[in-house]
Amino acid sequence: MTSPAIKNTSGVTIEDLSLSFGSTQVLKGVNLEIKPGELFTFLGPSGSGKSTLLRAIAGFGPEPEGRILVGQDDVTRLPPWQRNVGMVFQSYALWPHMTVQKNVAFGLEERKVRPSDIRIRVDAALKLVGLLDLAERQPSQLSGGQQQRVALARTIVVEPRVLLLDEPLSNLDANLRVQMRREILELQRQLALTTIFVTHDQEEANTMSDRIAVLNDGIIQQVGTPLELYDRPANRFVAHFLGTANLIEGTIRKTRGKTVFTAPDGTAIPVEGAGLKSGQDCTAMFRPQSLEVLPRGRGTSKRTGELPGTVEHREFLGHLIRYAVRVGKHVMLVDETHQSGEAAYDAGDSVIVRLRKEQIQILQTQ
Amino acid sequence: MKLLARGQWGPGAVALSLGLFLIVFLIIPVGQVIYVAFQDPNSGALTLINFIDFFNTSLFRESFINSFYVASMSVVLASAFALPLAYFTTRFNFGGSVLIQTLGVIPLIMPPFVGAVAMLLLFGENGSINLLLGDWFGINIPFMQGLNGVILVESIHYFPFILINLSAALNNIDRAMEESAQNLGSSGARLFRRIVFPLAMPGYVAGASLVFLKVFDDLGTPLLLNINTMLAPQAYLRITSVGISDPMGYVISVILVAFSLLALWTSFLALRGKDYATVQKGGGGLMKRDLRPWEKAGCYAVVIFILLLVLSPHFGLAILSFGTVWSYSVLPDGFTLDHYFRVFSTSSQFITNTLLYAGLAATIDVVFGTAIAYVVWRTKLVGRQWLDFAAMGAVAIPGVVLGIGYLRTFYAFNVPVIDKPLASWWVIIVIALAIRRLPYALRACVAALQQVSIMLEEAAENLGAGKRRTVTRIVVPLMSGGIVAGFVTSFATASVELSATIMLVSAESDAPLAFGIYEFMQSASGRGPGAALGIIAVLIVGIATYVSHRFIERRESERTPVAAATAGV
Ligand SMILES: Nc1ncnc2c1ncn2[C@@H]1O[C@H](COP(=O)(O)OP(=O)(O)O)[C@@H](O)[C@H]1O
Ligand SMILES: [Mg+2]
Repeated sequence: MTSPAIKNTSGVTIEDLSLSFGSTQVLKGVNLEIKPGELFTFLGPSGSGKSTLLRAIAGFGPEPEGRILVGQDDVTRLPPWQRNVGMVFQSYALWPHMTVQKNVAFGLEERKVRPSDIRIRVDAALKLVGLLDLAERQPSQLSGGQQQRVALARTIVVEPRVLLLDEPLSNLDANLRVQMRREILELQRQLALTTIFVTHDQEEANTMSDRIAVLNDGIIQQVGTPLELYDRPANRFVAHFLGTANLIEGTIRKTRGKTVFTAPDGTAIPVEGAGLKSGQDCTAMFRPQSLEVLPRGRGTSKRTGELPGTVEHREFLGHLIRYAVRVGKHVMLVDETHQSGEAAYDAGDSVIVRLRKEQIQILQTQ
Repeated sequence: MKLLARGQWGPGAVALSLGLFLIVFLIIPVGQVIYVAFQDPNSGALTLINFIDFFNTSLFRESFINSFYVASMSVVLASAFALPLAYFTTRFNFGGSVLIQTLGVIPLIMPPFVGAVAMLLLFGENGSINLLLGDWFGINIPFMQGLNGVILVESIHYFPFILINLSAALNNIDRAMEESAQNLGSSGARLFRRIVFPLAMPGYVAGASLVFLKVFDDLGTPLLLNINTMLAPQAYLRITSVGISDPMGYVISVILVAFSLLALWTSFLALRGKDYATVQKGGGGLMKRDLRPWEKAGCYAVVIFILLLVLSPHFGLAILSFGTVWSYSVLPDGFTLDHYFRVFSTSSQFITNTLLYAGLAATIDVVFGTAIAYVVWRTKLVGRQWLDFAAMGAVAIPGVVLGIGYLRTFYAFNVPVIDKPLASWWVIIVIALAIRRLPYALRACVAALQQVSIMLEEAAENLGAGKRRTVTRIVVPLMSGGIVAGFVTSFATASVELSATIMLVSAESDAPLAFGIYEFMQSASGRGPGAALGIIAVLIVGIATYVSHRFIERRESERTPVAAATAGV
């Protein structure tokens, strides 16, 4: 493994995949195109079907409808042991009756690799994850992070076409999690190995992924880069799941060349007009950091994008202060960066909330 | 360092009395037996002469080899019964798995020697099966001839130990263990050999060594089948016929203890550091596979065959207890209730004695078990582990050895008021039973105590309850499920115990069921009533087990919120 890149890595194509446990349908028509060498993430709340989808790619679980292709090969009907798709289990699943070395050698032995080559490749894999010294240990003598690395080494040593990771960081403590995150990413880049990563943690997904598929209730909500998902969520679910969001329902009004979003309580917010029709029902989405809080004093502004409101409460988060400001019938969250010594608004203060129109995202109401 | 910190006087006094009890009724008698084995019978000096004599006597050499052979073969045969049942029910989607597992444990609730008579009638040279085989094929298979009979009876009786341990081990293999192997390209028989089998091995070895130990120590079965050339019967016969001072009984006892320890040590080694309970959250149990119809038919055939075989002592005993005359025929000539009438009218003292002895012994066990568990796990008393160790040590002491030890130690000790030796007072039987069953009750109590969060105790103390009141009002009530389980295990097994009892019964009026059955079974005319007593014993054990099961289930469902809230602590 002088140049560790895995040569035969492949993309994964999922076409109309549906899957049921008995009578409960868990995956509902999933379509995905994962590119070779990409780090792709399934992100969604617990129970959304992420593991089920990942396991279906590895060949575990009930037989699905639809098709799964690894590279050009349809693997939908292949048993797990013929797919050459490497999976790291959430629990690591290291075999307790074998040493680290034996665990890592297992897949190569099953592939009838020559013993002399097995030694070389196992050592290389253990070196790659920095565990060469611990080769003779039993898994029970390793820390969580080390077990994780052994599980990784055991999987990549067989040079799978795709690497599947099911919540690989969930059993680690916070510090280790950040460190392993980097290590996995580095390893993935080094090997240029198509990797599918499952997590319910948006921060994890954002920091690691090339692209993310957001899953909810067995349905893909949106696919895109972390930035795309954050800035232009396709629906309320994605908007909420990727960060704090203000969401207001209302209608589009177009008058004299201006486009205004109007909520039922009269709150009117100017927005960019392109692509919107007058009278259309929709949801306005804006992030707390897109808003500003200004003191009310200097003659109540009627300028566009400035809304009068009252501070309801504030939370001090260290680097920023989060205000909840009542505007009409809505409570908007506003984040202001905090500089030391700076005064803050108090609950009850009358303020103005300023909102720039290019920061507003209009979502179709489903 | 102070030996006893504040607030430890109460537990200290309790621990001391428990220790004293164990010293008097376990350590001294067993120590006596070992001491006498190494003592020159004439001069009283320490010597190995008795062991040399033992191995120079061909009868003893033969007995030793026979015991070893029977125990080993019983393990082999018991494995043959247990493996398919455990494997099929844990690995395939199999209708009736629970029923199969339950039926598979039933053989344990009947003393093996009781089944032995029924087995003779079914599988003996002139038993039902051989009569049928003779009619159909003109053959006769010596199932019950000599040592074969002991092996068959013992393996049928004890195979559930392997079944239970092996099934638990198989169920504890997380499915990710198998899936990750499949993911790396392994499947079928290779996957089984490399992953499933090694992971289940410790459970199997634990069960198998228990079978070995039990068979090696068993006295009733060989006696009843008239096989005297084995170690336990030899020890018994030497003591009862040659006399209490004959050293050979003691030598054999030491050998029995040594082998028990060896078997326990093996099982300890097998399990040490191999906490293979790999089940993780979301996992649990082997991957279960659906069977094709013909596979299913094959599996069911095997399962039914095994179940019929291992339950045959029960069937045979039931038939015998209702049968009139049963010899040289496939079934008895006629059926009757007479045996039951006879047992109830003339021998009901066996039943009442058993209920009394087993009830007392089980009560002692759970009281002491709870106390020891508490002292060991919840106090910081110096030397508390020794209490646990001593109580558990009883596992390694065969009934015969304890019986011999009691005879030797307590014959000279006169109980004041009734003026007879302690060794021939019925209370000694109760104590022997209690000591023998204490390890099992203790484990149940420890398990129950570990379920009770220490926070619940601290909350009570915080509200002003002292140690004693905390224990009686909080800890013991919360342990009640486990305590009942311990009581029933002790009660059920004590009520069918023979090996220690047979040496300590001094009058028929003091004898328990097991002894009564043994006496009846000695004569052909006694078999019917003996079988009826056997059925009664099975019913007592069965009912006790069932009732406790229901009780524990109810407790569990009442207490789930508390248990759930505190389990993670
Ligand atoms: N073996 C199973 N049998 C029945 N239902 C299952 C099984 N595994 C998962 N499910 C159900 O499928 C849904 C998705 O589960 P899963 O894929 O594990 O979600 P995630 O990994 O996103 O948390 C859940 O509602 C879960 O209850
Ligand atoms: Mg999951």
